Amino acid sequence: MANGSLTELMRVLQFGDSTLPVGAFAFSNALESALQTGVVSDVASLENFVLAATRQAAALDGVALLHAHRAALSGDFAGVIRADTTLLQRRVGEEQRLMTTRMGKKLAELGIRLSDEGLMGSWLAAIRAGKSPGCFAIAHALMFAGRGLPEQDAFAVHQYGVASMMLGAALRLMKIDHYDTQTLLYRINATVDDAYARARTVALDEMAGFAPVFDVLVAHHVKAHVRMFMN
Amino acid sequence: MTREPAMLAQLDEIGGMPELAPYLDQPPQMPAGAPGKVGLLRLGFAMQDGRSVLADLYRVAPLLVQQALYWDEAMPHLPICMVTSIGGGTLQGDRLGISVTVGEGACAHVTTQGANRIHAMDANYASQTQTLTLGENAYLEYMPEVTIPYRHARYACRTRISLPASATLICAESVMAGRKHHEGERFAYDVLSLATSAQRPDGSALFSEKLLIEPGLHGVDLPGVMQGFDVFGNLLILTPPAVAERIQARVPAQFDGKAGIASGISRLPNEAGLMLRVVGRESYQVRARMRECWAVAREEATGATLPPEFLWR
Repeated sequence: MANGSLTELMRVLQFGDSTLPVGAFAFSNALESALQTGVVSDVASLENFVLAATRQAAALDGVALLHAHRAALSGDFAGVIRADTTLLQRRVGEEQRLMTTRMGKKLAELGIRLSDEGLMGSWLAAIRAGKSPGCFAIAHALMFAGRGLPEQDAFAVHQYGVASMMLGAALRLMKIDHYDTQTLLYRINATVDDAYARARTVALDEMAGFAPVFDVLVAHHVKAHVRMFMN
Repeated sequence: MTREPAMLAQLDEIGGMPELAPYLDQPPQMPAGAPGKVGLLRLGFAMQDGRSVLADLYRVAPLLVQQALYWDEAMPHLPICMVTSIGGGTLQGDRLGISVTVGEGACAHVTTQGANRIHAMDANYASQTQTLTLGENAYLEYMPEVTIPYRHARYACRTRISLPASATLICAESVMAGRKHHEGERFAYDVLSLATSAQRPDGSALFSEKLLIEPGLHGVDLPGVMQGFDVFGNLLILTPPAVAERIQARVPAQFDGKAGIASGISRLPNEAGLMLRVVGRESYQVRARMRECWAVAREEATGATLPPEFLWR
């Protein structure tokens, strides 16, 4: 398939769609705790919280995604698994690991039903055998690499998924309407080029992040009494 | 005594980190890594005649340890080493390497004399590598004092840990935003890079992370990052799963935005143990919260409690 074709555009639309059956609706990515503790209290603080989460996602998951995509394009299956395990090793908090591996496996299960699955079948078998954790970002890498779609598309769709999942949760957790969430999504999406430019040269072992309050909220949610979301 | 080739090689390695690339220029003072700028410290604890002792000590100024003392009233068998830096702080071009080994069945506590002040810089960077190696059933508390990065400081610290499933390591790290009462110096440093990786003796990976803070590039005043807080602390507890479970059950997540202190403990991947994250407005709040968790971890791992802190600490 030629890059830049209408089919490529349609693939991006489909894989980025919030109705993709990966269970994103069950997760808030710490937003539930952020609201309970007052870290997020209004539309402005929501925007900055989602912005911080997408920045963290780009520097960690995004880097692993790019490495997995490049490994998949060169047929290096061991490289895909290495990106997957290296990413999970950096994930603090059981609910965060549950989110990424549950959504990753779901996307892999969808991937093998479509044509041009590439390495997805082997990877899903490795997940089921406990040989690869199954992170969501790696599933995105294989969805795109298998179809010869560029790494930029995979990176962008993963970033889009983080923001749209959190804003979808916001609609159910706080006083905000669809016009507000779409406005925020539009603005946050405009940061993706810078995020990609920074992530594309980072070595797998140099994946880095810094969001200590986010990690405190992740721990807070594990022990929270009232929970609508799984993280 | 020979120089430490392995430690020296690690010091060189750190200079290849991409975030340090803009800061490779030589200081107008002593060149980076020159004699006097390279501090090395090797501490080896082992069981001898039924008690833990400091059996190996090698040091190159500005790092200094004199001897192990036994002052912990709840663990009178615990050798304690206080690391002193005779340099009056960490300067541009400094390369520090610390290696601590705790042999089978031995225990140890390593701390520092005062805050790790990373002085203002106009050339090069400062780095520290830490290698912590534990044997079967070993127990190490590695509790350095807070790091304070001054204006334009560039500091990279890389910690490598190897321990078997039966050992316990409690490793503290805390960092202030700067000298906040000195001209409001807050996140005015250039780069702070803190990388930690832990593995089993057979080389299998347990947990890694790299905290990279470049306040000029990415503002830290975002909710979820450091908005509302000036100090962060990590207490890494690598311990068997049964111990980790008991510790986690006793350490509640706490979030008090008004008082400006929040903390939460999370499970690490690969059943490696736990990570306590603490954020606070002031360093004493973070220190106290980390100490509470340290006490719980020590109790669950050793059965001994943590005596009250000395008044002079």
